[in-house]
Amino acid sequence: MDIGVQDVVQSIINGLCMGGTYVLIGLGLTLILGIMNILQFAHGEVYMIGAFTVYFLCVLQGLNLYLAVLISMVTTAVLGLILERVFLRPLKGRFLSYVCVTTGLSLILQTVVMLMFSKGTKQLPSLWKGSFDLAGVFISRERVIAIVMALLLTLALYTFLKRTKYGLAMIASAQHREGALMQGINPNVMSAMVVAIGSGLAAVGGALGGSIFNLDPYMGGLAFMKGITLIVIGGLGSIPGAVAGGLILGIVESVLALFFGSQMGIILPLVLVIVFLIFRPKGLFGHD
Amino acid sequence: MLLEVKDLWVRYGGAEVLKGVSLEVEEGSVVSLLGANGAGKSTTLRAITGLVVPSSGEIWFDGERIDGESPARIVSRGIRHVLEGRGLFPYMSVLENLKVGAYLVKDKAQVQRALEDIFTHFPVLKERRNQQARTLSGGEQQMLTIARALMGCPRLLLLDEPSLGLSPMMVREIGKMIRNVHERGVTVLLVEQNTRLALDVADTCYVLETGSVAACGLTRELMKSDLVRRAYLGL
Repeated sequence: MDIGVQDVVQSIINGLCMGGTYVLIGLGLTLILGIMNILQFAHGEVYMIGAFTVYFLCVLQGLNLYLAVLISMVTTAVLGLILERVFLRPLKGRFLSYVCVTTGLSLILQTVVMLMFSKGTKQLPSLWKGSFDLAGVFISRERVIAIVMALLLTLALYTFLKRTKYGLAMIASAQHREGALMQGINPNVMSAMVVAIGSGLAAVGGALGGSIFNLDPYMGGLAFMKGITLIVIGGLGSIPGAVAGGLILGIVESVLALFFGSQMGIILPLVLVIVFLIFRPKGLFGHD
Repeated sequence: MLLEVKDLWVRYGGAEVLKGVSLEVEEGSVVSLLGANGAGKSTTLRAITGLVVPSSGEIWFDGERIDGESPARIVSRGIRHVLEGRGLFPYMSVLENLKVGAYLVKDKAQVQRALEDIFTHFPVLKERRNQQARTLSGGEQQMLTIARALMGCPRLLLLDEPSLGLSPMMVREIGKMIRNVHERGVTVLLVEQNTRLALDVADTCYVLETGSVAACGLTRELMKSDLVRRAYLGL
């Protein structure tokens, strides 16, 4: 089998692109876990609903794709707010309850979406058709756009966290819960914000994934697994960790798939999780 | 009376940690709460700021009843609690810790002024402002956590064992800091195992023994009683 430069470059771009979608789902997951101590098992479904909302707005209602993504980001963030207020806040910190409720929610959401939309594979229109020609190597435009979008959103999140009062309060809440309370920070406000932001980001991730690949109501499960892998690799609650974890996962998956076939995509995350948990449980950028 | 605790009972699981504790803190004063380990001193402070919910009893601040309110609500009334163990945000910088201390302050100019004020009074913190809080020495961390509480311009400052783990020289510095804070008009309720420090700074003292108030009164009066001095103050 002849693998040329073209294949490797495309594979890396592909990996960065997939990595970008993993980062978008992983950021929300890691922040929610770091700040609220909840593993949000329905977060993959939030990602999926984000994608299906874009499908509904763009393919079924004829809106411009980018506008649909923007709207979906907002509506999915609102969905996150509702989920937090109705399903998570009443549980008052009982970890096992969170696991049960969010797992149940994930099943319900999958079924609802499956019933609402007809059978058959669906796809979103391309973000940007065609490819760039870089010294003879063809690079898909839509993948580059996806990478850029993921990068911009991550930077926006980082800026929010480091430069606004609420962002700093969120980081503080993750580092010392009582210390944060003693500065007058309302934990319910923090929870609502982090779930809303995480959900909005996941929605864009879903839209990017749905544009480049297919949509289906069960796409959330795999996405969730990638998100978990990313947290283990990158470190809990860490933004740089989530970015590093996502990109590493994406690129390694893609390059290995080039040489060894696409089963790598399923096996690799699991292997990485095991390796990291044994040798570096706190992840690349994690604390304690 | 700025703060009144009336017949406070706190139960953890089956144990009674506070059994009918009452105390009063006058505005502008420094009050010390003394006692051995496990006497219930920290629990009293935690009940005041809502980290612990009382089983019964009342807590009044500035004429309003505050027991049962959420910690964030109580803090917004002008009470700051410097936690036992400092409660710093370890991976945030000194500056970021201070900024979070001003979370409730709406006026940005006021936050700037408070920051400059802190840096003038605590030059070490200014020097280390971009360092992560966990890299500071014990004494510097204590300074930071008190400074952070001051960023919120509190009326009442609760200090939980500020001298813990500090050298005698640092303890004297803490004493100076407390007197300084007092001079600015902040009322202080100090919990301490270090009797020397507590008596040095306080006008009034309460002594807790296994969840109840065993003795209380003006510091100078307590010092006059041989019994009190020997039994409770270890002097």
